[in-house]
Amino acid sequence: MALYKKHTGKQTVKYTRNTSIMILLLLFALATLFPIYFMIISSFGDPVEAGAMDYSLWPAKVSLESYKFFFDYSEHSYRWLLNSLIVAGSVTVSNVIFATMAGYAFAKIRFKGRSVLFSILLCAMMIPYQVTQVPLYILIVNIFQIENTYRALIMPGLVTVYSIFLTKQFMSSIPNEIIECAKVEGCNQFQIFLKVIVPLSKTVMAVTAILTFMDSWNTFFWPFLVTNTMDMQTIQVGLKNFRFANTTYFAPMMAGATISALPMFILFFSLQKYFLEGVTVGAVKG
Amino acid sequence: MSQLAKVPTTAKVAKKRKWRGDNAWGYAFIAVALVVYAMFTAYPVVSAFIISFQEYRPLGSVFIGFENYINTFSDSLFWKSIKNTVVYTVLTVPVTLFLSFGVAILILPLKKRTQTAFKAIYYLPAVASGVALSVVWLWIFDPMPSGILNKLLGLFGISNLNWLGSSSTAMFSLVLMAWLSSHGTSIIIYLAALLGIDESYYEAADLDGANFLKKLWYIVIPFLKPTTLFLLVTGVIGSFQVFQNAYLMTGGGPDNATTMVGLLIFNNAFKYFEFGKAAAQSLILAAIIASISFIQFKFFGKNIEY
Amino acid sequence: MRKMRVLALVLALTMSLTALTACGSSNKGNSGKDNTAANNNKTENSGKSNNNTNSEAKDTITALLPPVSGNFQDMFQQMEKDFNELYPNLTLKIEPASWEDMTQKLDTQVNAGSPPDIAFIGSEGISKYLQQNMLMDITDLATPDMVNDYDKTPLEYMKRADGLYGFPAYMEVHALGGNKEFLEQAGIDWKSVQQNGWTFDEFREAIKNGVVKEGDTTKRYGFVFATAGVTGKDYLNILIKNAGMPAPFTKDLKYALTSKNFLEVLKDVRLMIDDGSMPKELSSVDAGKRWNMFLTGQTMITGKGLATFENNARQNNEKIKANDGSAVSGSIPVEYIVLPVPTFAGEEPISSTVVDGYVTFRGKKEPTDEHKANVVKAAYFLASGKVAAMTNNDLFAAHITKSARDAAASMPVDRNPDNVAAVEKLLSHANPPRPDIPSDLGAKAIKMEDEVIVPKLQALLANEITPEDMYEAVKAAAIKTFGEDGIVKD
Repeated sequence: MALYKKHTGKQTVKYTRNTSIMILLLLFALATLFPIYFMIISSFGDPVEAGAMDYSLWPAKVSLESYKFFFDYSEHSYRWLLNSLIVAGSVTVSNVIFATMAGYAFAKIRFKGRSVLFSILLCAMMIPYQVTQVPLYILIVNIFQIENTYRALIMPGLVTVYSIFLTKQFMSSIPNEIIECAKVEGCNQFQIFLKVIVPLSKTVMAVTAILTFMDSWNTFFWPFLVTNTMDMQTIQVGLKNFRFANTTYFAPMMAGATISALPMFILFFSLQKYFLEGVTVGAVKG
Repeated sequence: MSQLAKVPTTAKVAKKRKWRGDNAWGYAFIAVALVVYAMFTAYPVVSAFIISFQEYRPLGSVFIGFENYINTFSDSLFWKSIKNTVVYTVLTVPVTLFLSFGVAILILPLKKRTQTAFKAIYYLPAVASGVALSVVWLWIFDPMPSGILNKLLGLFGISNLNWLGSSSTAMFSLVLMAWLSSHGTSIIIYLAALLGIDESYYEAADLDGANFLKKLWYIVIPFLKPTTLFLLVTGVIGSFQVFQNAYLMTGGGPDNATTMVGLLIFNNAFKYFEFGKAAAQSLILAAIIASISFIQFKFFGKNIEY
Repeated sequence: MRKMRVLALVLALTMSLTALTACGSSNKGNSGKDNTAANNNKTENSGKSNNNTNSEAKDTITALLPPVSGNFQDMFQQMEKDFNELYPNLTLKIEPASWEDMTQKLDTQVNAGSPPDIAFIGSEGISKYLQQNMLMDITDLATPDMVNDYDKTPLEYMKRADGLYGFPAYMEVHALGGNKEFLEQAGIDWKSVQQNGWTFDEFREAIKNGVVKEGDTTKRYGFVFATAGVTGKDYLNILIKNAGMPAPFTKDLKYALTSKNFLEVLKDVRLMIDDGSMPKELSSVDAGKRWNMFLTGQTMITGKGLATFENNARQNNEKIKANDGSAVSGSIPVEYIVLPVPTFAGEEPISSTVVDGYVTFRGKKEPTDEHKANVVKAAYFLASGKVAAMTNNDLFAAHITKSARDAAASMPVDRNPDNVAAVEKLLSHANPPRPDIPSDLGAKAIKMEDEVIVPKLQALLANEITPEDMYEAVKAAAIKTFGEDGIVKD
């Protein structure tokens, strides 16, 4: 925060600076927010077909009909949300724990084969998912025979290379002195991890949590592949069900999309406080 | 005195013990990640590798050596899609980095409440479902005078453009979509990294009389290098694999102006049922991405030790 | 120290194991879903040891079905129940999917070697799966009763060479739809057109007359057809069928689209836009937009037009009457009239008929004879009788089985009799099926369409290339794919 001058003398300079920044940010935000605004506005419209869709900037009539339509459409509408919650929740928790551990190992623990292993991990990220889906499907459905279960939805996402990469990058900027100090005091790696690294990495753990949850919540293709019955589908798969033979029920789809965006907001606001303070402060001096 | 004499030997032994111990620790920490990776990532990748040398049939594949690769290299559509993808990447990834960096820096000095508000605002588009949003964008790009963009242009007296239907503007429309939507993640990551910069660095710089720009250049940017590298690498990987937008908005047209490699692979795998060919194309794509990432690592990879 | 390390390792492993098992046990209901082949073997064994009739053994049949008609997916549970009542030892398990994603999912499952037993797809997709040998030939297993229940033509669509690969659900005619009031305003004798068809020149004049301008802007176009993205394929296909190219290959298996008639059609496509009768932005008009334009009176004729649109138009008219704000905003009351596609270059009219049906698949393991028979029973159940009657009624599609016609006799249908007659006329010169086209040629034609024809068509519609350019490009690609001797030269 001290990037900007802290004491500028005149109160008005600071005020104008902050206000002009806010205006800039708002303008850009407006451009990016417009599609979302429209999505939410249309969700208050009537549940009519796409061909009948009237695109206007302000709803002619505000009703919760589409929300009702969405929930009534299938007895599983609530279940979809629950499924997404279970899957995304488990994947998030496991990623935060294990990716942080792995990220720390790759960043700070010097072990044999570290860089080779990491490059291999990274390379796998570069293969497009369309091609890995079929062998993965064979693995889950034919070999393990666990299709249409929570396991099939969760297991492939337990630890992602993306999270490991992210945590490694963040942890590489933790000063080595801190770790050396702890070692001198006789801590082993696990204790170092728990007592020193984790408190310092609250921010990156929060970021990993949010990103993983978001990614898992929004993913469509894999849940679509491995679920066979409507009661096991996740919300993204369920939303796609609104496209019928010749029409799309636009407003209910938007209503569903709005609802599905809510849990992520709740998560965001609850993990919020980890974003406000850099926690490496004072660690070295102390 | 005797203590000093002892130090070298115990230090050496301690170092050796620590090093060996560290090996085991390292592996212990990555154990779970490695198991998950081996099963769910490595195995499919290896399978894909094997399949790329076959003419894949569910009932029994036929080994055909490099034929899939040769066919791919001689396919002009493949090269066109690579060109499209590269153009798309070059136009979107740096811009996203720039914009998110800028926004993160701008959010920094604001009061906590305002910070949170803006963070939420920018986070929102990233959170909304891509499928729902693409429907909205289709309306924005509607070529009839009723489309939003055309309405806007109309205010300036410019006649409506066939945004998604004409090859000169189709790619630009997709790029525009990317410019206006995919920043939430990068902004959050940059912000988190910015907050990790210790106050003492700024204080030291202040004592030296550095202004805003100097502090930016000498402290912030170097400190953010690992983050920038991360966003660059993952951005390129993601953008090279991009597929959903093109599929939903233009279907690859017109005249293959927006056919991306991801779409081609998708078509080969699912439409034409030439899975072996799709696998070969994916591996070629992966090789391209790997070489680009390698270059990126060389440029940005040096770790900053303070 | 060692203890800590080991502890950490054990901790990590235990945590992951608990996560896995805990998640698994929370889903009891579906863990019993086995691979049908595996299930099959079990029933096979129990059947043998029983020494009794095969049909007594329990069996499960899986079906992947999209929303064939509006209410189709609501009916799933009822259908499963009815089937089980009919055959107490058989269970029908239906998986829902949406239209777009259906192919992706089915293709992944086929590629993985474990497709569902039955999937609802268009009959032209049969070649694709046949090439992979993943289809189940039911010629031997379909009883004569079942086969005779069907009208001959739709059944032919489900055949390739000597095999039958499923049962058809309906045969739909793709045509055009007109606004009765506007047609009459433009002086078009639509009743005669419905029975006698029209040539392209007549059509061109007619749509010119249908254009209404206000100064420089066109308020009402004469003709609109959805061509955005992949729907462009539909447009071209519907036109070339009436231009002497009803199939991608001629009777002696030469690629047909290199004929000069094809160039004619391309030129005519441009003519209609350049005349001002069709919007310049045609290449971005999608299905939703073309229907919206029709309902709001922005076009006189819309395409493609399915018979069921009459129902949609009527529903909107009622909403307008009710004046409760639920009608399409800006829409006017419209009476939907079925219209045939015009003919080109003096060729005979051939209607673009589409047969979709329930196609039978096999997995990596060869299914047992009983399982095959059971799948046939299930497919027949879905494609005939009550189920077919309800679906086809919703779609305003013609019934193609005697049993469905009987069942439908008691279901009321409210249709414009002129339209009914028009559809009958169109069906009378339906596109003859071509089971003789070998699947590899068929696959090549599909690839040509996707990689050359549709992209070039989009450019043509956007006025970026000339019809001659497109024709040359198609010809060059055809020569490359089929060889100089494999194409039509006239």
